[in-house]
Amino acid sequence: MASPKSDLARILDLAGRYRGVLAFVLVFMLGAIFTPKVSGTNVTAFLTWDTQRATLLYYAEYGILAAGMTLVILAAGIDLSVGAVLGFSATLFSLLLMGYGWPAAPAIVVTVLAAAVMGAVSGFVIARFRMQPFVATLGMMLVARGAAKWISGGQKVQPGAQPWYAMQSGKPPIFDSMTNPLGPIGAQPVVLLFFVTIIVLWIVVKYTRFGRHIYAIGGNEEAARLSGVNVFSVKIGAYALCAMTAGLAGLCNASLNGLGDPEAGFTYELDAIAAVVIGGTSLMGGKGGMFFTFLGAMIIAYINKILSLNNFEEPQKLVIRGALIIIAVLIQQTLERVEKRRIK
Amino acid sequence: MRRLLLSAIIIVAIALSGCGKKEAANAPDGTKRYVIGMSQCNLGEPWRVQMNADIKAAAAKHPEITMIFKDAQNNTTTQQSQVQELVDQKVDLIIISPKEALPLTKPVADAIDAGIPVIVLDRKVQGDKYTCFIGGDNVKIGEEAGKYMVKLLGGKGNIVELKGLMTSTPAVERHEGFMKGIKGSQIKIIYAADCHWLEPDARREMSAALSRFPRPNDIDAVYAHNDPSAHGAYTAAKLEGKGREKKIKFIGIDALPHEGVAYVKAGILTATFQYPTGGAEAIETALKILKGEKVDKNISLGTRIFTKDNVAKGGEAL
Repeated sequence: MASPKSDLARILDLAGRYRGVLAFVLVFMLGAIFTPKVSGTNVTAFLTWDTQRATLLYYAEYGILAAGMTLVILAAGIDLSVGAVLGFSATLFSLLLMGYGWPAAPAIVVTVLAAAVMGAVSGFVIARFRMQPFVATLGMMLVARGAAKWISGGQKVQPGAQPWYAMQSGKPPIFDSMTNPLGPIGAQPVVLLFFVTIIVLWIVVKYTRFGRHIYAIGGNEEAARLSGVNVFSVKIGAYALCAMTAGLAGLCNASLNGLGDPEAGFTYELDAIAAVVIGGTSLMGGKGGMFFTFLGAMIIAYINKILSLNNFEEPQKLVIRGALIIIAVLIQQTLERVEKRRIK
Repeated sequence: MRRLLLSAIIIVAIALSGCGKKEAANAPDGTKRYVIGMSQCNLGEPWRVQMNADIKAAAAKHPEITMIFKDAQNNTTTQQSQVQELVDQKVDLIIISPKEALPLTKPVADAIDAGIPVIVLDRKVQGDKYTCFIGGDNVKIGEEAGKYMVKLLGGKGNIVELKGLMTSTPAVERHEGFMKGIKGSQIKIIYAADCHWLEPDARREMSAALSRFPRPNDIDAVYAHNDPSAHGAYTAAKLEGKGREKKIKFIGIDALPHEGVAYVKAGILTATFQYPTGGAEAIETALKILKGEKVDKNISLGTRIFTKDNVAKGGEAL
């Protein structure tokens, strides 16, 4: 029964199915070995609890963005506007809190809804007029960035930035409650929001009709349409949800910064797309999933953290980061091919 | 005869125009008005927003000045064509804060050729075909920050340097000046990173530094090339949750009213050093040029230090 050949095949099969996990483990080991020792101890800096917590805290907003991006990419689309929508949301949230003195709850609701509307508009244009997602969301990127600068007067929104602001000094309490550790493990609400977003969207794509329709559209839009999928509303839904996660990431960004920067989130869309692709979701749509994106986001976060801990100079950092991203995707694709060949 | 008549007309015209000028000088609502064009390379940076605000405020004190503002949105080509637009509009004087030296040298030279004086602010153009350059001295600011750091730490300590974009001159000069300032002391830079002038990057890099040097006395101070980076470093220390933000001294540069100066007031930064926008000086110099007075070709602006003790009275000149 247990011939060497079938053992090898079984291992390859496992490696193929869990290729995202494999890339994740590789990067983790890289960090555990190749980071400097913490001063005064024998442990590498990467393995300390503090480093792990800080990594989650600072890359939570990328992770949240990537989760939303996964929906759009699964439907064979792309959303270039998420970075700008993040900036707009961070600015609007700060403006409502500090400029107009709103309490936290309505400010959160209005901000996330405003972001969702931006996504819905992109989705509408894409679905109704069959515009290339690349172009439609590029336009929305400019609109959102412009809106962020417009409402803030081009200045960072912080206490006292404009004479008419309700808050002239201090800090909105919500910013601290978003970033202060909760409970015994010390996870911050920003980090919890990352996990909750991943889990909720994982359930959405895996167990709802809407989720199945997203895969169907990504696999073959015409076939999906012919088999009765409401392509129009599913697309609008996907882009609206994606922009909504950008809104949530904007809340995190403002809370971490303690201010609303209209330039926030610049080029974040590229990191979000990279996280989705590294996780193993296909840019062609129809294949992949939320758990993969979680791994992809963590791989990107770890790569950045490892480079920072090693204190590489900027030029080396960029080259190594680029090379690692390419290698991570290469591992993915090779294993995917192995898996496919086995299925055939 | 005809020639005589022509000469007479010219003389009368010159005399009249002279009168006009005198009237303008006497009466603020006189006929002679000046249109000044301002070409800003990028209003995405708060410091440049402040520069425009300073120019606007200074110009508002002189009712004879009308300002035209152009924002190139960080695009060199846009700025080239915007300078050309100002020349075509025949403004009386152009103030430009160029995005890059080389590509904007020719548009500035063209304006000079068209008889329009040009004041170059903050970043230089190549050659000497401009009327006047006004800018801060980043090496001096870095050096003052270094000297202050030596004084602050009693000549000895471990610090983190959070640099600006190291392919830009101000970051390189702020680093060089600082090294000059701490020379001969026992201050050691144990961690340095390029943070691209960006607060989120500074926060992340500082968090890495804190992970690598986790004991309470490992890091004594942070020198950041701009205030948002210093603020980001403070936030990272605070989020670490060990109270190290109270122990570590944070020093920044730029001292914008709503950023660095506000952070010093709030006790977040120990000190910030002003990088003057030169906006007010540009308008004063512009008026001198327009009135035919001679001005220096290079005007170097000083710096001010803001600390807890002097922030209430507007900092202290260095």
